[in-house]
Amino acid sequence: MDALLQLLVNGVALGSVYSLVALGFIIVYSATSVVNFAAGQFVMLSAFFGVMTILNLKLAPALAYPLAIAGMAVFGVIFYVAIHLPLQKRPVVSVIIGTVAAGIVMQNAALLIWGPLPSRIPSLFGDANVSIGSSVVTVHALATIGITLVLIVLLYLLLYRTSAGRAMRAIAQDVEAARMMGLPVTLWLGFAWILAAVFSAFAGLLVAPMWFADVNMGDPIALKAFAATVIGGFGSVPGAIAGGLLVGLVEILGASYISSTYKDLLSFGFMILFLLVRPQGIFGERISERG
Amino acid sequence: MKVPPTKTNWILIAAIVAAAAIAPFFATEYVTRLLVVATIAAVAVVGLNIAFGYAGLISLGHAAFVGVGAYGVAILTVRHGVGPWLAALIAIAIAAAVAYAIGRVVLRLSGHYLALATLGLNVSFTIVASNWVAFTGGNDGIAHIPALPLFSVQLATERSSYWFSLAVLVALSFIAQRIRRSHAGRSFIAVRDDEIAAAMTGIAVTKAKTAAFTLGAIYAAIAGCLFAFHVRFVSPEDFAYHNSITYLAMLIVGGEGSLAGAILGALTVTMLPEVLRGVGNAYLLIFGVLVLFVLVLLPKGLVGLLGGLKRKQADVSVPVAKAIESRP
Repeated sequence: MDALLQLLVNGVALGSVYSLVALGFIIVYSATSVVNFAAGQFVMLSAFFGVMTILNLKLAPALAYPLAIAGMAVFGVIFYVAIHLPLQKRPVVSVIIGTVAAGIVMQNAALLIWGPLPSRIPSLFGDANVSIGSSVVTVHALATIGITLVLIVLLYLLLYRTSAGRAMRAIAQDVEAARMMGLPVTLWLGFAWILAAVFSAFAGLLVAPMWFADVNMGDPIALKAFAATVIGGFGSVPGAIAGGLLVGLVEILGASYISSTYKDLLSFGFMILFLLVRPQGIFGERISERG
Repeated sequence: MKVPPTKTNWILIAAIVAAAAIAPFFATEYVTRLLVVATIAAVAVVGLNIAFGYAGLISLGHAAFVGVGAYGVAILTVRHGVGPWLAALIAIAIAAAVAYAIGRVVLRLSGHYLALATLGLNVSFTIVASNWVAFTGGNDGIAHIPALPLFSVQLATERSSYWFSLAVLVALSFIAQRIRRSHAGRSFIAVRDDEIAAAMTGIAVTKAKTAAFTLGAIYAAIAGCLFAFHVRFVSPEDFAYHNSITYLAMLIVGGEGSLAGAILGALTVTMLPEVLRGVGNAYLLIFGVLVLFVLVLLPKGLVGLLGGLKRKQADVSVPVAKAIESRP
């Protein structure tokens, strides 16, 4: 029972990270219909921005973390201008290959800059543990869950309580109509990329102390985030959260109770099951309209 | 979309095949080996062109079918002592059956849903191939696959492998072209362009999609068999999902929907590391940038560079494509 509580906390913490990545993915998808296959590399790059500000430049945490996140926001703009805008009017497959190619560029640029050796970013919350009953969980895991909750609340406030959110939802619903209403669509699409990059930044900075900051970390995370998105429902905010948590829990619980070698197969099994039985996911859009 | 094969085109094709056939006489052993790799990739990409280029099915699981072909040959020949030709036939049949079964369920999806589903299947294939040690040899793979015997000659040298795979590529390209012009091929294209309109004209949409997907998988499995007999060793890494992405990138870079584009793309992407050898570690970085440039600047792929001039007069496909994209 104690072990179970510990596993549940770890599963939810890892799931929170997947949720953040999935949120970044669907923010872009809803606003721009771009399926960002470089989403995992965004997380990888964030972790290395963290390596740069925290380990290399040895800045104080109060400066290092905001700087890494701001760096990702800038990167979001660069990605929007360099990748999204030129491929905007192209068929789905060109966008898929385009973002994959951009991901390859990001991964190998990181390899050239930071080298192949993984680095360990210390947690902002140290290596402290908390005992709940007789089970021990890390403060970092709890903080990850807490920060993710705060970000989700902020995202909801942004989307549903501000005029910025209203504009973004209008664009997600119908770009042409939004343009006709006089919304500066090009600017808002850029803002969606910034938002997505910032969510990835939090994901990267939170996952790096759990694993290592490694140039190859992007793909495994992206695959899990895709699975989370499919399970939750493409383009759905609550779906990304639920899907991420489910995939995180399946991974941690599956590894400990079923098989650690086949833990990934469980997540993808779930994803494929959902695609076949309920392709719109838990909260998803009606796929006949977009599919 | 394609110029019909007039007499001059046949001469051109014959000249290209002849040039390809004598290429090893001017190439080093190493370059010949690369040509074999490119030819085998081309077989897979010509297959992907049937599934994606003709029928519009975005598959990111193509490498898994190459893997089924290669592992089929490896397991049957090494573990069970089956003759190479029979092993290849069985492996291809298994891949076709698997593709048909998967197609029946997965092809209800389209666009990026299909892309993610097939990606998930490819990842699952790799996980099974690297962990089911008793059956697949795990990450160590399976070695000592025999060479393919052809009329009492073992196709063990690079040159003989090359000529054999080239012959297979030419034959399969010819078949692909026949499919393209057949009733089935036209129904694939109709389904890609507009599913509802295709269904209206009496095309069995699901059947057409499954057929195109299975045909693509058969081509992939044949490429897998060629791979197994050429490299004589299989391991999961060669059939991971990033290989699927590479196949799709080859097709897009070369020019989707076109046979010449599929082959040109496979050749270019395989040879690129050699051309870029001077840049060392930055190779993949430059590869990514080049792919992006082709995507942005050449929407029809490299093949658009070759045939762009003479096809300008009556290209109906462009306004049609525009009309499709601007639909609500």
